[in-house]
Amino acid sequence: MLSYILRRIVATLPVMAIVALFVFSLLYIAPGDPAVVIAGDQASPEDVERIRQSLGLDRPFLVQFGSWVWRILHGDLGTSIFTNLPVSAMIGQRLGPTLSLMIVTLLLTIVVAVPLGVVAAWKAGSLIDRVIMGFAVFGFSLPVFVVGYMLAYIFALELEWLPVQGYTPLTQGFWPWLENLILPAIALGCVYIALVARITRAAMLEVLQQDYIRTAKAKGLGQGGILFIHALKNAAVPIVTVIGIGIALLIGGAVVTESVFAIPGLGRLTIDAILRRDYPVIQGIVLLFSFVYVLVNLMIDVTYTLVDPRIRY
Amino acid sequence: MDRRTVLKGLAGAGSLALTGGLSAPAIAQGAAARTLRFVPQANLANFDPIWGTQYVVRNAAAMVWDTLYGIDSSFQPQRQMVESEEVTDDGTTWTFKLRSGLKFHDGAPVLSKDVVASLTRWSARDPMGLMIKALQQELTAVDDRTFKWVLKQPFPKMLYALGKNNSPCAFIMPERIAQTDPFKQISEYVGSGPLKFAKSEWVPGAKAVFEKFADYSPRQEKSSWLAGGKQVMVDRVEWVIMPDPATAAAALQNGEIDWWENPIADLVPVLKKNKNISVDIGDPLGNIGSFRMNFLYPPFNDVKARRAVLMALSQEDYMRAIVGDDNSLWKSLPGYFTPDTPLYTEVGGEILKGKRDLDAAKKLLAESGYSGQPVTCLVAQDQPITKAMGDVTADLLKKLGMNVDFVATDWGTVGSRRAQKTPPGQGGWNMFHTWHAGADCVNPAPYTAIRANGDKAWFGWPTSAGTEKEVTSWFEAKNLDEEKAAIGRLNKAAIDDVVYAPTGFFLSYTAWRKNVSGVTKGPLPLFWGVSKSA
Amino acid sequence: MTDTTVNPQSLPAGLILAPQLPDILRPVKIRRGFIGLLRGHPTVAIGGALLLTLVLIAILAPYLGTVDPTALAPAKRTRAPSADFWFGTDVLGRDVYSRVLFGARVSLTVGLSVAIFASAAGLAIGMISGFIRWADGILMRFMDGLMSIPPILLAIALMALTRGSVGNVILAITIAEIPRVSRLVRSVVLSLREQPYVDAAVACGTRTPMIILRHILPNTVAPMLVQATYICASAMITEAILSFIGAGTPPTIPSWGNIMAEGRALWQVKPYIVFFPAVFLSVTVLAVNLLGDGLRDALDPRMAKSL
Repeated sequence: MLSYILRRIVATLPVMAIVALFVFSLLYIAPGDPAVVIAGDQASPEDVERIRQSLGLDRPFLVQFGSWVWRILHGDLGTSIFTNLPVSAMIGQRLGPTLSLMIVTLLLTIVVAVPLGVVAAWKAGSLIDRVIMGFAVFGFSLPVFVVGYMLAYIFALELEWLPVQGYTPLTQGFWPWLENLILPAIALGCVYIALVARITRAAMLEVLQQDYIRTAKAKGLGQGGILFIHALKNAAVPIVTVIGIGIALLIGGAVVTESVFAIPGLGRLTIDAILRRDYPVIQGIVLLFSFVYVLVNLMIDVTYTLVDPRIRY
Repeated sequence: MDRRTVLKGLAGAGSLALTGGLSAPAIAQGAAARTLRFVPQANLANFDPIWGTQYVVRNAAAMVWDTLYGIDSSFQPQRQMVESEEVTDDGTTWTFKLRSGLKFHDGAPVLSKDVVASLTRWSARDPMGLMIKALQQELTAVDDRTFKWVLKQPFPKMLYALGKNNSPCAFIMPERIAQTDPFKQISEYVGSGPLKFAKSEWVPGAKAVFEKFADYSPRQEKSSWLAGGKQVMVDRVEWVIMPDPATAAAALQNGEIDWWENPIADLVPVLKKNKNISVDIGDPLGNIGSFRMNFLYPPFNDVKARRAVLMALSQEDYMRAIVGDDNSLWKSLPGYFTPDTPLYTEVGGEILKGKRDLDAAKKLLAESGYSGQPVTCLVAQDQPITKAMGDVTADLLKKLGMNVDFVATDWGTVGSRRAQKTPPGQGGWNMFHTWHAGADCVNPAPYTAIRANGDKAWFGWPTSAGTEKEVTSWFEAKNLDEEKAAIGRLNKAAIDDVVYAPTGFFLSYTAWRKNVSGVTKGPLPLFWGVSKSA
Repeated sequence: MTDTTVNPQSLPAGLILAPQLPDILRPVKIRRGFIGLLRGHPTVAIGGALLLTLVLIAILAPYLGTVDPTALAPAKRTRAPSADFWFGTDVLGRDVYSRVLFGARVSLTVGLSVAIFASAAGLAIGMISGFIRWADGILMRFMDGLMSIPPILLAIALMALTRGSVGNVILAITIAEIPRVSRLVRSVVLSLREQPYVDAAVACGTRTPMIILRHILPNTVAPMLVQATYICASAMITEAILSFIGAGTPPTIPSWGNIMAEGRALWQVKPYIVFFPAVFLSVTVLAVNLLGDGLRDALDPRMAKSL
């Protein structure tokens, strides 16, 4: 088990290295000279050249890449070109809101989607199944910002149940924190709920056809017991997998959701940084996201052994 | 009581039961009344008002840093940090004395050496500062409160330069900060202004917080723009950056924010309908839209092609695209200077008036030798103003028979690409849109965009000897009549050579909750004198 | 490991729906013919019909009572839907009905092109990794790297490199989708290689290109087709999001994303500007998804049985 985890960690290293190289070269060839932007409107070409030198932008590609990797290995993500703040500090400030949004969305998804999928599989072919699956297909088909605007309009402006925008840290109370996250989580969760509900249904159908379910039924176990204890446990692997993979989906969706609901998270930082070509910030964020993605999937691999004892490494 | 308050109350009751806490909601409400939540026009991405010239940086900086002089609502520089000044009869030696009791936010007194360092850094970046620097013999501290600026030649607009509200303003910083390379950002934000910058709470792209500075000693005069007593009536000013205007509008209606600097025109009717919201023109000096052409390459290197654009463009189309259906928000502008200011003129502006003549324009364009080369238009999509103008321009140039190469991009990229002097096919450009605050267009001193000294001019590098000559005569003018005469000639010369094509004059609204009082009109949002009741 | 486990990496992220494709596939045989397919799988019929209608609308846009979708009329801006302007006018007085109809061209072009290009590239990369051991390691590490960047972020970052054009949007979204397709193809190939009949073919000395042509490709068609529909759907959504952020199709071209991006600020006062393109986008994506679901059920007999 431990050696498996270690092997997996070692295996992620080349992935991270490729991400790093990719991200760095992506921005190296990007148009727009940060030195010009930095120098501002009234700068002369000599000033720009001076800044370019001081940023090290005039050095060869490999030298720049090398020194960048060297600094990252020492935990230094560099300094933002525009704000003059350390990138790690900027990411740190933004981590809370995005993490909160992700967690609430994740919980919401699991709480809503898994039971929906189970019920749909249980009543496969019935009207309930069709309605649930219909909603699931529909959930895929709506752009996240349209859902966001509709939710904000109905629940915040018209009904005045929830705030329109913003973020309150958890330290200022649970309800203020949650209040701000409900609408964004629903908007962001839409696609995700649809996805997980469908996978759950498919996985459950598979399991419900197995012999041991018939045996359990024959033994006279209750419907609920069969569904949620026996069957769901055995269907868990694909469900957990898709939840993990969906993290990428969530990160992408957060970019839009955060700007619709004015949540000061990493998604907005990403857009701002890309639009301003703030190289160090973009590099830091993409590295972080890849790292999280790799980490989550590693955790999921480990989870398999918990949900499915047949899996041995 | 609305439903949300009920929900909050319930949650509050729950947490009360859980924690046994008392009166937390009451404290929160008191603090809320002393915190002004403001949505600025743009993100405060950096905070060095000398290094960065965006309006939003200047607006934030005006709270944190004070200036020696301040422009009042009649464009006159008034003493602000300065107690008195003297100038020798030949106009070359200025001696200034600081007010006593001025303090920086870190508790240190404001001394002459701080001023000297600040002015040195400022004069390396500011266009007027550069003019002074070119004449400078020495800038020295005489004693702790007195300093001296010795010039080789007189510079009559000295006080205006030190008090102007155009970016970069001559903000006074502690010496250690002001010694930063003018082309590098400062990393400490300590000033002597009426509010302190809470750096620990700054989240660029999301939030910036300013706290009342208890030791600030305001002047006794009534405040007027950047002059007079800057009395702060709230404890905190929180800037909340909202990238989405629909969200900002909703937040203002819901009372989640108190003041929205620039509501987009189409949303104003909804805000006006709300009985809790006041809406008014924010900056009476408004803005001037600009269609900026590149003088270095065809077709706009030929004055005929530039005049063809002037002849064909409909300022009404541009203005409606920007401000919507509200006709009180725009004016056609047959010239370059801000309407309703002393130097406003329409001399020479006939070509922009009356019915648009597309056929004559096409003919003129053909005479310039234009034969279908692509015209590279840089249009920033993330600024509603440039985006709207870009769409109108694409339509206009198409109608003129031009082959438009429409480069839709963001403001940052326009900012760097417009500096390229290479041909349009090789990273350069033919035209871009921008706009100038009306406050910057009241006279030629702050008006970089009107300068036409070729290589040294602003992007587009216009050359117009007539324009440059009249800029000089304005600087040399001794009285208002002379100034007016010079500006009339300047306006005509600039239109004849088409230094740039003005797309019209437009105003924008600002909107605030009715429980906020003291919001005044000005070239920038002014936070002193603004108070908030619960 | 038992055969019921799913290797997480073999599952394409995002919109894949059949968790255990490879080991259950048989060569595609549609015995009942096309009509039979439609009758047996009404979702295919509904999705197909909807999609066909939209394609026709896109092609016939100029003849459906539209005007120049880019013609400005600032004097007639933000008019509500009426007999003159069926879907109203936008902030610059352009006719929203005409823009939405012409916008169908962009969305469908992007969706279909990305589906085709991503499938083709994914197929090639997947095949190579499935058959050439030494290339597998390199390619798959590279794909893992790309895959660990959220696809929308990757597309935005790629768009930041270049200027907005429909071609670049297609390219950016395609690159972001390739890793998932190649993963899928590779896993199909790997599992097919274990199949007895492929073993038999190898044992008989059949050459690799022949094996690919005869045994592998036909069996890859079904999962690829299903996957391609989901890619198509997600590409159209991604296009809208890119335009919404301002990093997509140039604003001179009406696309649904652009129309919505321009109308978004006025959502509260002029909801129709966003509403009509949103409905068209949703219906199109829905149609493609239905088609994909239907095809999956039709081409995957075991799934079909359970429905």
